[in-house]
Amino acid sequence: MICTEKLPVPPVLGGAIQTYISGVLPYVGKSHQITVLGISDPSLPDQEVIEGVNYVRIPGKIFEIYRDGVSRYVASNQFDLIHIFNRPLLVLPVRNAAPRSRITLSMHNDMFNPEKIPPEEAKAALNEVTNIVTVSNYVGDVIRGLYPQESAGKLTTIYSGVDSGRFLPGNDPKMQKIRNQIRKEHGLENKTVILFAGRVSQNKGVDRLVRAIPALSKKHKDLALVIVGSNWFSQDIVTDYVAYVRALAKKLDIPVVTTGFVEPNNIQNWFAAADLFVCTSIWQEPLARVHYEAMAAGLPIVTTARGGNPEVIEAGGNGLVVENPEDPNCFEEKVAAILSDKNQMKKMGERGRSLAVTKYNWERVGNEVLRVWGRRASTR
Amino acid sequence: MEQIMPWEMEEQMDEFFIPDYINNLADEVLKHYDFSVKSMEVVTTKHDKGGAIWKLETSAGPKSLKLLHRRPTRSLFSLGAQNYLVHVQKANVPPIVVTKDGADYVEAGGKLWFVAEWIEPLNPVSKDLEGAKLLCAALGEFHRLSKGYVPPAQAEVSSRLHKWPKDYEKVIRKMDWFRNIALAYSEMPASSHLLNVVDLFEEQAKRGLERLNQSSFHELIQHGKEYWGLVHQDYGWSNGQMGPNGMWIIDLDGVAYDIPIRDLRKLITGTMADLYRWDTTWVREMIKAYHETNPISPELYDLLMIDLAMPNEFYKNIKEVVYEPEIFLDDVTSSMIQTIVDTDQTKWPVLEEIKDDWK
Repeated sequence: MICTEKLPVPPVLGGAIQTYISGVLPYVGKSHQITVLGISDPSLPDQEVIEGVNYVRIPGKIFEIYRDGVSRYVASNQFDLIHIFNRPLLVLPVRNAAPRSRITLSMHNDMFNPEKIPPEEAKAALNEVTNIVTVSNYVGDVIRGLYPQESAGKLTTIYSGVDSGRFLPGNDPKMQKIRNQIRKEHGLENKTVILFAGRVSQNKGVDRLVRAIPALSKKHKDLALVIVGSNWFSQDIVTDYVAYVRALAKKLDIPVVTTGFVEPNNIQNWFAAADLFVCTSIWQEPLARVHYEAMAAGLPIVTTARGGNPEVIEAGGNGLVVENPEDPNCFEEKVAAILSDKNQMKKMGERGRSLAVTKYNWERVGNEVLRVWGRRASTR
Repeated sequence: MEQIMPWEMEEQMDEFFIPDYINNLADEVLKHYDFSVKSMEVVTTKHDKGGAIWKLETSAGPKSLKLLHRRPTRSLFSLGAQNYLVHVQKANVPPIVVTKDGADYVEAGGKLWFVAEWIEPLNPVSKDLEGAKLLCAALGEFHRLSKGYVPPAQAEVSSRLHKWPKDYEKVIRKMDWFRNIALAYSEMPASSHLLNVVDLFEEQAKRGLERLNQSSFHELIQHGKEYWGLVHQDYGWSNGQMGPNGMWIIDLDGVAYDIPIRDLRKLITGTMADLYRWDTTWVREMIKAYHETNPISPELYDLLMIDLAMPNEFYKNIKEVVYEPEIFLDDVTSSMIQTIVDTDQTKWPVLEEIKDDWK
C-alpha cells in the first residue's frame, strides 16, 4: 500500500487518507502480507513491523523525491498487488518498477483533473490499473466523466469508516464527563451547540453559517456556535477569510467558541460536546470525513448538496441537505427545521449513530477493499 | 537550529527591530562569504512575514543581505530569475554575490538568504510624466528580457498565468464580504458610504470577468510561461530607479510567470490615484513608453483595457476592512471612499478615449 508524499502513516499528524489506511489494515492484514510504504517522520522509525504489517518510510514532502524513492523500493521488492493511494502520477513509475504486479488505485479527491495530471498520462495510468476505488460516487463520476473509456468497469465506491468506539454521543457514559467539562469551560451550559469542524477557508463556507445565526437566534433561544478549525489562530498567517469570519462572528449575539487547531486525537470531545453538526462546504467536496464522525457522535447533520457530501445523508433520516449553500437563508431554514422539533432531532442523531456503527465501520471498509483486491479485470 | 518565524511589532519598538536569533543567524550566514563586513544596517523588515534586508559595507564594496520570507523552494525560483536576467540577458538587475563555495544562497533557520551587489548611486526618477515614462520603458525592458527564463529543477514554479479569472472572481467574492462587514458594523461612520458604493464596484468587477472570458486571454496563455516571462509584482518608484547605465530594477523576490502587463496596469492605476484623476495624456504616454521596449499586440492591449477597468483601487484600499472593521470603518475611510469614487468617475472617459488606440 503506497501512501501519498504528504503525511505519515499511522496518522500521527492526521489526514483522511492516512486514517483510511490505518482503519482498514486490521481487516485486510489478516489474509495478506502487507507493506505500507509512506513518508518518514521524526517521530517514527524508517522501518518497523506492527501487528504483522511492515512499515517502510522514505523521504517525502516533495512529490518528485518521493516518487523516485517509491520506484526504487518497488523495483527492489516483489509484490503481487500494489494499492496506490490518491496519486495517479505514481502509477506509471510504479508500473515501470513492477511490470507484473496488479495495481489498484484509491481516489480521495480530484487528482485526476487535467491541471493535476496531463490527460495522456491519466489515460495511460488508468490503463495500467485493474481497479479504482473512490471514496464517493461523486469522485468516481468525475473520473468517469473525464475518461469514460479508460475507467470503464474499473470504478468502485467504498465509503470510508469511523471508529465509533472513539467518536461517541455526548450522553454515552464514557463521554458525559468530558461533554459537561467542555461545556462548562466554554460557557456552553444549557445551550444548544451548533458545531462546524473543518478548515476555515472560503470553499468550506463557514461564513454562511455565521451569517445565518442572527435569524436563527431570533427564533431559537440559547444557541451557541462552536467552530473547530485550523487556520483560525494560526500564528503564521491570518488569512483574509479568517479575518472576515472573525469579524462577522464578533458581532453575533450568541456565544461563539473558536478552538483553533485541535489535535486529531482530541477532536471527538468536541463532537460529544455539540448538539447539531453543520457542514457548509460550497465547493465540490469529495466527501468530508466529518460526516462520519458527526454520525458516530450521534449528531443530526446539516450538509450541502456539493460533491459527495449528500451521499451519506438520508434526508430526514440522519440529517438534511442544503441545496443552495451560497445562500445563508438556506442554512437558516434547514437548521431551524431540525431545531424546532426536538424529538425529530433526537431521532436523527440516533439514526446517524446507528449508520456509523452498522455501515460506516472499518470492518465493512476492509471487507470491501478485500473484495476489490480479489477481483481481476475483465479486460486488460 | 531555530526556525525563522514572523515577529510581533509594538508601537514603542524601533521600526527596524529584528529579533536577536535572526541577527545571530545573519552573522552565521555572512561567514560563508569571502568578504569582511565593516558595518551592517537594517533597511527594510517584513515582520509579519519574517523577512528583512540589510545594507552591508564590506571589504569588497557595498552589498545587500536579504532574508527571503518565502518557502525556500519558492525563493529558488526568484534567485534563478535574478541570475538569468543578470548573466544571460545582461539586464540592469543587481548581480548575486556567491559564497566561498560558489553557492547563490545560504540556507539558515529554514529560509534562504542571499547577498547581492548594492548598486550605487540609485536615484528615484522624477514624480512627473517624464519619470513615469522612464519607469514604463524600464518595466517593458525587464519583461522582455525575462522571457525564456527556465527555473532550476529544484525550484517551485511560480505562475500566475492561468490565475486571472480566479483573481477576478476573488475580487467579486470579496465585494460581498465588504458588504456583509459593513452591514454587521452598521454603527461605524464609513459603513453607509461603503454600502452606497459597493454595488457599483461589484458590477464593474463582474463586467470585468465577463470581458476577460470573452477576450483573447485564453488563447494568449496558450503561448506558455516562458513566452510571456515574468511579472515583478511590486514595481514602482522605489523598485525601479535610475543608476549607472540607465534604469535598474531591484527586489525581484516576488517574480512569477504571468502575462506581465499586469505590472503596467498597477503602475498606471497607482499613478492616477496619486494624481487624484485619470489623465488621457499620461495613460497614453505610459503605454507608449512601455510599448517601445516590449511591444503590445492588439490582443494584449485589449487585456490591458479590461484590467484597467477593474475596480482595482477600491479593492486594494478596502480589502483591509476584514481585519479590524471596528477601527477601519472610521471617518478617514469615509473620505477615502469618496476620493476613490471621485477618481473612478474620471477613469471612464479616459478608457473610452483610448480604447481604439491599437485598432
